[in-house]
Amino acid sequence: MTSHAFLPQATTLARPLAALALALVLAGCNKAPDTAAGAPAAGAATAPQNGGTLVYLEQQAHNALYPPNGGFYPNGGILNQITDKLTYQNPRTLEIEPWIAESWSINADATEYTFKLRPGVTFSDGTPLDADAVAANFDRFGLGDKALKHAVSEVINNYARSEVLDPLTVKFHFRQPSPGFLQATSVIGSGLVSRSTLALSLDELGDATRIIGSGPFVVSGEVLGKEVNLQARDRYNWGPVKLAHQGRARLDAIKIIVTPEDGVRIGALLSGQAGLIRQVQAYDEKRVNERKFPLYAASTRGVNDSLAFRPDNELVADLKVRQALLHATNSKEIVQTLFSTNYPQAKGVLAAGAAGFVDQSAELAHDAERARALLDAAGWKLQADGIRAKDGRPLALSTYESLNYVQNREVLQLVAQQWAKVGVKLNVLSGDLGSKTIDSLDPEKIALLPAMVGRADPDVIKSNYYPTNRNLLLQKGGISQKVKSFEDRKLNGLFEAIAAEPDAARRLELTGQVQRYLLEQAYVIPMFEEPQIYAGAPWLHGVDFEAVGRPSLYAAWIAPH
Amino acid sequence: MSRYLTSRVAQALLVLWAAFTASFVLLQFLPGDAVLIKFLNPELGLSPEQLAEIRLAYGADAPLWQQYGHSLLNFLRGDFGYSMQAGVSVAHSLATSLPPTLKLAASGFTAALLLAVALSFLSSQLGFGWLRSALQSLPSLFVSVPVFWLGIMLIQVFSFRLGWVPVINPGPWEGMVLPTLTLAVPISAPLAQILIRNIDAVLAQPFVAVARAKGASRTWVLWRHVARNALLPTLTMAGILFGELLAGAVVTEAVFGLNGLGSLTQQAVANQDTAVLQAIVVISATSFVLINLLVDLLYPVLDPRLRTRLEA
Repeated sequence: MTSHAFLPQATTLARPLAALALALVLAGCNKAPDTAAGAPAAGAATAPQNGGTLVYLEQQAHNALYPPNGGFYPNGGILNQITDKLTYQNPRTLEIEPWIAESWSINADATEYTFKLRPGVTFSDGTPLDADAVAANFDRFGLGDKALKHAVSEVINNYARSEVLDPLTVKFHFRQPSPGFLQATSVIGSGLVSRSTLALSLDELGDATRIIGSGPFVVSGEVLGKEVNLQARDRYNWGPVKLAHQGRARLDAIKIIVTPEDGVRIGALLSGQAGLIRQVQAYDEKRVNERKFPLYAASTRGVNDSLAFRPDNELVADLKVRQALLHATNSKEIVQTLFSTNYPQAKGVLAAGAAGFVDQSAELAHDAERARALLDAAGWKLQADGIRAKDGRPLALSTYESLNYVQNREVLQLVAQQWAKVGVKLNVLSGDLGSKTIDSLDPEKIALLPAMVGRADPDVIKSNYYPTNRNLLLQKGGISQKVKSFEDRKLNGLFEAIAAEPDAARRLELTGQVQRYLLEQAYVIPMFEEPQIYAGAPWLHGVDFEAVGRPSLYAAWIAPH
Repeated sequence: MSRYLTSRVAQALLVLWAAFTASFVLLQFLPGDAVLIKFLNPELGLSPEQLAEIRLAYGADAPLWQQYGHSLLNFLRGDFGYSMQAGVSVAHSLATSLPPTLKLAASGFTAALLLAVALSFLSSQLGFGWLRSALQSLPSLFVSVPVFWLGIMLIQVFSFRLGWVPVINPGPWEGMVLPTLTLAVPISAPLAQILIRNIDAVLAQPFVAVARAKGASRTWVLWRHVARNALLPTLTMAGILFGELLAGAVVTEAVFGLNGLGSLTQQAVANQDTAVLQAIVVISATSFVLINLLVDLLYPVLDPRLRTRLEA
């Protein structure tokens, strides 16, 4: 076989192969700076400019856009741009300010709310946003609709009925005092939608083009599972009254693109292919900071990321065991090992910026010695294998990881390591959603569960722990059939009092009492505050966040770059 | 020939029915169901009565045979139901995810085929011992490369650093370049492997020696004689691989943010969205069946020795 004729072929093959290999290796080393984008322009113009399309990268696709499902961040990101609410909660002061409602009055025991609406507001299909429309919306959010599979909104309690007094005045009646309702009209779950949207069943609300709101942006198109295109609404003229910017939104359009892979989202931002991204993990923050791109850590102002016990479970029914585990947990180590300064260590049950926050850092001190002493006193003796046991039963607890919460698997593994030091075994289970949903309702199987929720109102604490709400402690009276007997009357009494107390100051005081009681009984172990982390391009200005961390792009603008 | 076709079609329908039934039965064994997962979520704060009403509305607790019959009848009518997770009809979800998957599968497969052919023919052309074995070990390298790593590396180098191809909001064909490359590499590996072995096997046969003795060049022999013989087993392999591609390249789609069948499947599995999963199983089964049928029909076209058997 004559081979010399093919020699040139061999070398021409080798060079490109070698170049490709080298390029791939270099890509892996992060030493070389990103040269593609060049130095980020300062976006020098100080005066806001109109126009432009913002590319916003989301981590997941949205699902059914029924407003009370707006808690899911991909849903909230869309709903916050296309719907307006009756009132606006100032994200900095947490005060309730006028928006679609110009003014309101509440009766003495918070069972009647009357709202006077501003005139001239229309939905993007032309129908008026008047008292009838508002009444229809809240009738649905407050009472639900079985046939359409619309569930009752979590934030509305004791809703009785609505009453239209005149085209611009609507009154709501409640069976019991409902002091949280005013704040409830400002949350993402109370975005006002048109009658045609309310007529759709939950099975059809996954099509974003059918959601008609009155907001500064309108859904102009969608590729299901991939992108949602929003167009600015020219006639828009009814933003929150106290905002500096009024009238039409500054941006012409927003393109929301689903980009599940973390590295691709960040790389796209840093190389100029996107203007705003949601969800930057703590370990990726350095990349963004190095390039001097702004990082927005929007607080969620609710209950901290914590572990909630199920005291119905025999092993954790003992107060001493729960207290021991609380002191065995080292939140500072968790925050320092896994997170960044944007994730403050928990100082109490609620986030520091939450309504009614009480500082209880002293009760949350890490103290392994005290934990061991408590466990010894409770009769749990350390065995040869390092795990404590009593009456032949080892102190082994199980929990499911909750991938909704940031780095939850890593957090639970670190907690398991910390608890192992005092002789307690924590099994971190990861299963399919079906098993997890069913098992989580059984306190004997799952002794504790991670929990966190964002809402800037004292009601948030009730909605987390009350039996007919989220019932995180698994008390009797909720949807679980497996709870044997656990019920804390004192705690529930406090929740009921908060939900029914019309006086704002007294409500906050009761919230403080609940927080102290929760930690006295060591029902929960708060670990850290979980913000929503966004990163933006340096030429993007005016991005704001509502009280629970959803982006508000009404006043956002793009500087020339 | 038409008898052959009729029997193949009948077999195909049987396979589809079996796949549908098997998937239905298996999905029932999983703990929980989609309604439970969506509505038992404590975040919704529903009471036990509200939950019971919702389950009734969805027919979630009807007897199994009733649910099966209902489902089968709807499928035959073309009504695939609703996706519990996405809040749209399954038909809508499929209509949006099939085109990107078909596009990706077609271009990925073509690129893989070209790569495999180039690799195998090149390695049999080159006389160099060391280069030959280097090229012949490439398929092993290609199949070992993790798809997600390759995808991310390609994005980092060609999109973020060099800026040649945008990965966010690209044009319709621009956006295919990197995912195609990512898919082509691992898919080309088995194809190349089989082609190389078969080329070597055919080259060792006596008729090749006769052709060379008659004065044919190596290249002429390769293209004129060896190719058609070596292609036959490759065709079968290609059929299987294309079927896999149609089922959805889950990882590639996740890395590039494509809304194809792969990512739809992944979400449906995570949420136990039975309606979507059944539809996907039927579609995947259909594509495998069709492709296998096509391969079987192509065999006689390529190999004259098989033609008489059919006509008999």
